Amino acid sequence: MEAADGIVEFFEELGRGEHQPLLAKVTGRVRFDLVEGGRPDRWLLAVDKGDVTVWHKGGPADCAVQADRALFERLCRGEENAMAAVLRGALVCSGDVELLFAIQRIFPGPSPERRPQVGVRGSR
Amino acid sequence: MTQNQVKILEGNTFVVSDERGDIEASRTDPTGLFSFDTRFLSTWVLTVNGERLTPLSVDDLEYFETRFFLVPGTGTVYVDAKLSVIRQRSVGNGFHEELTILNHDDEPVELVVRLEADCDFADLFEVKDVLKKKGAYSTRLEEGRLVLAYQRDTFSRSTAISSSQPCALDEQGLTFNLSLGPQGSWKTGLDVVTAVLEAASDGGDEGPALAWQVRRPRTDMARNLARWLNAAPRLECDWEPLRTSYRRSLVDLAALRFSPISASGHSLPAAGLPWFMTMFGRDSILTSLQALPFTPELAATTLRELGLRQGTRIDDFRDEDPGRILHELRYGELTAFEERPHSPYYGSADATPLFVVLLDEYERWTGDTRLVRELELEARAALHWIDEYADLQGNGYIAYERRNQETGLENQCWKDSWDSISYRDGTLPGFPRATCELQGYAYDAKVRGARLARLVWHDPALAEALEGQAADLKRRFNRDFWVEDGGYFAIALDADGRRVDSLTSNNGHLLWSGIVDKSKAKAVAGQLMGERLFSGWGVRTLAVGEGRYNPIGYHVGTVWPFDNSFIAWGLRRYGFKAEAARVAAGILEAAEFFDGRLPEAFGGYPRSMTKYPVQYPTACSPQAWSTGAPLLLLTAMLGLEPVGDRLLVDPVLPSTIGHLGLLDIPGRWGRADAFARGRVDTSRPRQHRTR
Repeated sequence: MEAADGIVEFFEELGRGEHQPLLAKVTGRVRFDLVEGGRPDRWLLAVDKGDVTVWHKGGPADCAVQADRALFERLCRGEENAMAAVLRGALVCSGDVELLFAIQRIFPGPSPERRPQVGVRGSR
Repeated sequence: MTQNQVKILEGNTFVVSDERGDIEASRTDPTGLFSFDTRFLSTWVLTVNGERLTPLSVDDLEYFETRFFLVPGTGTVYVDAKLSVIRQRSVGNGFHEELTILNHDDEPVELVVRLEADCDFADLFEVKDVLKKKGAYSTRLEEGRLVLAYQRDTFSRSTAISSSQPCALDEQGLTFNLSLGPQGSWKTGLDVVTAVLEAASDGGDEGPALAWQVRRPRTDMARNLARWLNAAPRLECDWEPLRTSYRRSLVDLAALRFSPISASGHSLPAAGLPWFMTMFGRDSILTSLQALPFTPELAATTLRELGLRQGTRIDDFRDEDPGRILHELRYGELTAFEERPHSPYYGSADATPLFVVLLDEYERWTGDTRLVRELELEARAALHWIDEYADLQGNGYIAYERRNQETGLENQCWKDSWDSISYRDGTLPGFPRATCELQGYAYDAKVRGARLARLVWHDPALAEALEGQAADLKRRFNRDFWVEDGGYFAIALDADGRRVDSLTSNNGHLLWSGIVDKSKAKAVAGQLMGERLFSGWGVRTLAVGEGRYNPIGYHVGTVWPFDNSFIAWGLRRYGFKAEAARVAAGILEAAEFFDGRLPEAFGGYPRSMTKYPVQYPTACSPQAWSTGAPLLLLTAMLGLEPVGDRLLVDPVLPSTIGHLGLLDIPGRWGRADAFARGRVDTSRPRQHRTR
């Protein structure tokens, strides 16, 4: 269950009650339906101007995002880009699209280890 | 072939066909039906009794609709045709085509009408670069539709073709077997419907699935265009070329409107037609600035949509930083699989300060402080980016160097070609590069940010800090970038802090930004209007005599109308009204040679030598900021300026214009009129006399 822990950890971190500055303008409910072998694992997020409450359950939302569990794990680790995944049809969204654009900010960027080589500064 | 292409579009959906209305695209040939940066139809060929058709005429009805008049046969000798074929096509979610066949004979006629259809689902980038597809194609016939589909993992795109009249469907197309009576006619409606993303379900309680939301019903585009033209200020002028340019600009700007899915129907200016029908930070912002006194709602949508997609993380592949405003957004397969970084790509060094400039300028014209409050966090993040992430040389100046070395942009300023930034002797500096106009934009962003902080965000401490930084930046800039022996500002500082000392049009943007010391303004204006830069039509990108000067070099000698519109505005800012009018006159007179539609750029040959402006060949026309140029030139000639809640008018007209009126200019004053009178020079012969 090591893989699952990444997702649980990600949502628990989000739900710790700390204000999320990147979501400061966001108010709404987003549900993530994570699919693995047909059984959806549902997480519900209520955002109120950056204050996030997380439940490990289903429920009505303004925006629903469905994803393969493995893909979502990579999103939580910053190894996938959410917007590219939407274009690919790997993240399937319904409802309020603006909320989707806003909520994808919760995923981390690529980790420094994964960063391509930065060009040598001042080269001539 | 390119000469005879017919293009129609709506938003990011467009059709490029030959003048018969046929599409026969090879992998590298940019014809077809495109939507969301993907080709949805690469073959669409009409035959009657096995014969191709010959065009008699093409009616470009509107930018979204066209009509082809055809006769059967392809002989070189005109055949006395007994049949007419009319294809009327309009773009919507895909396109709709009304196919009509008229029998002019007194005898009945039997016809086999055939439409061949196929699709390669190429990404726009693939059409340019020729890449091999990695997914699988399929074709199926279902419920009276021919469906062409492409699938790569979860990525799916499909095209469904159907007819309102009965037909025989096969995997390569549609066949109609007809009997037309004497003088009879027949008609069918053909629908080509594109599908982006898999629409397995239509969504749940949350609302419709994204796959459904991206489908746009065909709206009444004719009425929409009429409303758009009606809402714009009315121009009165005794110089006909200006009236033509103005009307052309308004219609082209309507065609260039792009409505992202998140904008609930509102539009922003896309960069150019047809290949750049998407959001570009720099192009959308600069065009919104040009159009502010005419259609301020474009600026509001641009600001909101760019704000929504502002960078939040460090991502080298996308050249993304927190607070950075995007450069370009794409939806195609290569972007979806991260083979290209455009989801979105952030490699632009000017869009971020210009975002703050546009927000402030928008408020000055409209008085819409609500939007300024709404975008407070985004504007603060943009200002923060300037100091925190853009100072790559560590000297307090904005500089750029791509972190995505493979598919990122080398030059992240508007002069983005490889050789655009050079020393006098033609050599190229290394990276990072701190180009001069970026410092002007940064200065302007700080000054304007300070105004907004005081007026709207009620943060006098921030205002004071920004004003202090701006003053310091201006002082350092006038010292570090000034080329003493030339009397102008260097185009850039290189990585060693050395001046990249060629003379360029960028000096005009510096005037617009306000960063130029008053004591230096006269010299700068003199350079802009001097023989080395001013061609008679406009200001060249690079001055005659510089190592890389070439009158038909993309950014090294050509004249760019958009560039000149900002130069004219800059000259006004420092009080050089007559000079601004001269630049306006040159560009607007050039527009006359292009039927009022200014190209992206034209040759930098002296006007006395060529007598007409030599167009630089580009695939993209109209281009948004060229379309916006006549609008900003009007603003500059009339000297329009919001002062408090009033519109100040302080006109200086060129000698071609006797009187000029702009009526119903929208703004915080409601609607206002501006009038100007000039002294017409009647000694000069004119190409077209006014009636």
